[in-house]
Amino acid sequence: MSLNELMIMRHEWALVAVALVLLIAEIAMPVEKKKQINGLAAALAAVVVVLGFLPAQYGSLFGGMYVTDPLRILMKNILNIGVLLIILQSVSWLRQDLYHDRSSEFYLLTFASLIGVNYMISSGHFLMFYLGLELTTIPIAALASYEQFKSKSAEAGIKLILSSAFSSAILLFGISVLYAANGNLYFESFELSSSLINTLGFIFFFSGLAFKISIVPFHLWTADVYEGSPTNVTSYLSVISKGSAIFILVIVLFTLFNSIQLLWQDVLYATSILTMTIGNLFAIRQQNLKRFLAFSSIAQAGFIMLGVINASALGMATVIYFMLVYVFSNLAAFGVIQTVGHASGKITIDDYNGLYKTNPQLSLVMMLALFSLAGIPPLAGFFGKFFLFTAVAESGFYVLLTIAVLNTVISLYYYLLVVKAMFINTNATPIAAFKSDYAMRISLVICVVGILVTGFYSPVFEYIKNLCETF
Amino acid sequence: MMEHVPIAHVLMVTSTMFFIGAYGFLTRRNLVTMLIGVELMLNAVNINFVIFDRYVYPDQIEGHFFALFIIAIAAAEAAVAIAIFINLYRNIRSIDVEEVDKMKY
Amino acid sequence: MSSEALIIFFLGGVVMVGAGILASNLLAPKSSNLQKAEPYECGVPTQGTSWIQFRVGYYLFAILFLIFDVETVFIFPWAVAMKKVGLSAFIEILLFLIILGLGLLYAWKKKALKWE
Repeated sequence: MSLNELMIMRHEWALVAVALVLLIAEIAMPVEKKKQINGLAAALAAVVVVLGFLPAQYGSLFGGMYVTDPLRILMKNILNIGVLLIILQSVSWLRQDLYHDRSSEFYLLTFASLIGVNYMISSGHFLMFYLGLELTTIPIAALASYEQFKSKSAEAGIKLILSSAFSSAILLFGISVLYAANGNLYFESFELSSSLINTLGFIFFFSGLAFKISIVPFHLWTADVYEGSPTNVTSYLSVISKGSAIFILVIVLFTLFNSIQLLWQDVLYATSILTMTIGNLFAIRQQNLKRFLAFSSIAQAGFIMLGVINASALGMATVIYFMLVYVFSNLAAFGVIQTVGHASGKITIDDYNGLYKTNPQLSLVMMLALFSLAGIPPLAGFFGKFFLFTAVAESGFYVLLTIAVLNTVISLYYYLLVVKAMFINTNATPIAAFKSDYAMRISLVICVVGILVTGFYSPVFEYIKNLCETF
Repeated sequence: MMEHVPIAHVLMVTSTMFFIGAYGFLTRRNLVTMLIGVELMLNAVNINFVIFDRYVYPDQIEGHFFALFIIAIAAAEAAVAIAIFINLYRNIRSIDVEEVDKMKY
Repeated sequence: MSSEALIIFFLGGVVMVGAGILASNLLAPKSSNLQKAEPYECGVPTQGTSWIQFRVGYYLFAILFLIFDVETVFIFPWAVAMKKVGLSAFIEILLFLIILGLGLLYAWKKKALKWE
């Protein structure tokens, strides 16, 4: 393998090296020194992110099984940044005495899952795609049950592993049917005709993938798993693994299933309406903030489908831009929930009453994140949603657009409920003032900067759009 | 001998197997049995891939390799799932799904 | 092989086994007493039901065995095509084995291999 080929696959090589370093550190280090692993892992994650931004080589490897191009590298970089933020947020949690001798496992499994994400985005063959998908989910199922002594955590792990195994079985059945019809599994030379067997294969394939993105009616596992898992794992699930599944869905729909576009537009039309509405309606009645964000992220997935349905370079650009914004906003919200949960053990909306009085900075971050998720004008989330709506309007689905706007109003209501709790409601026993650690602060600052910059600095969207047009 | 069996018969077996597995997954109450249901589904897919290679595209081996990888990944999945089951059992002394209900709407 | 040969083979098997059982039934001397009804002719009779729960340790070993057993799925095709695929594939499979070995070391370090 020449240096050139090495450079093409550098995201994955870097991650494999990082994972091996952590594994060896775990085996070789004495228990007393395990606390240093936190710093090591954060530094390594930063190195991976920086490596990803170096000038790139593009091309395909293994006879077309592995493909990279500028757009895929952008997707990988977005998700790598997300993982860096999550790792920064985990440091203080993993320094506790309960976990510090197992902390390297957390990082190891996170990086293993990230390897899967990268391979999945770069896949040029269904086998590679399947391997990436499984490598993304299996370590996360183990992480969901990371809190050994909490039965909720084990429960979340079980629900995640069983539903993901079930969904990948369905997806594989779809792939096998597509293989029967086309005799070929390379994305490159995949030619689909609109016959009944291809429709069947596509429906199975889409259902399997919809489980991972948690589109209604395949969303039932989401809330329980999000609530039971440790908060950093929840943020990984809702941002990285969902984001990677959405990216690969976009790639697959726009290249592979291009010829049956009318079919998948119909499917997406129905599912996006259902997903937005049901996600929003259930989000209103949640008290637990993690469950609340679970349902709100289901609703966000419905909004993302609006961009996918456009089926053009514009639609693709809006989806990727929205995901970029979503990574920063959602991780900021989860970061606040986690640091508050860590300091006080409180997690419901009522507990947040009067948070502004005691912890003004955290409340401001949370407010920015929620406003961005809701789509309130000067923030990035507004432009994300606005572009998605333009994409729908351009493709002429006006009924869908109306429903989406109504749903935005509903979502505004419940996001503002949390903001109201923090700023206006009074509380006799508010969460006491506390200081979060440096790593958490750095990650929250990056999130806030991300929310502001991606919103105010318009070349970001232009850049993504140019990449999509050349894809 | 093999060629005497029409492909339709094999496909009937695999799709029956697949849906029996799905039915088992959705109705059983024991977690291990649910896992067995999923394995049944995966094995149906394995047979599908091998059969399509054998009958429809005899000059290819992509399907065979897909089946090999599915076997390996199913094993990894089962290992993780059973490890989590053991963890749950240590917490609540049962692996009945009806008791896995700490979180509800 | 034709199907007639199979049928003859099958019938031959049935006849041989059947004849053996029949002959021993006819020829063997018969006697019966209470002791013969026990599950073991000599040894301690079992107590309680055999439907007991196995120790968790068995599952842990089974999981480890499963993982290191299934790796053969990847090594076997390589071994078959070893001469064709050459040195680079050899290095790759070596890397694969080293990573698996690290996993085993990890399990050892975590005392998963200890029977308690």
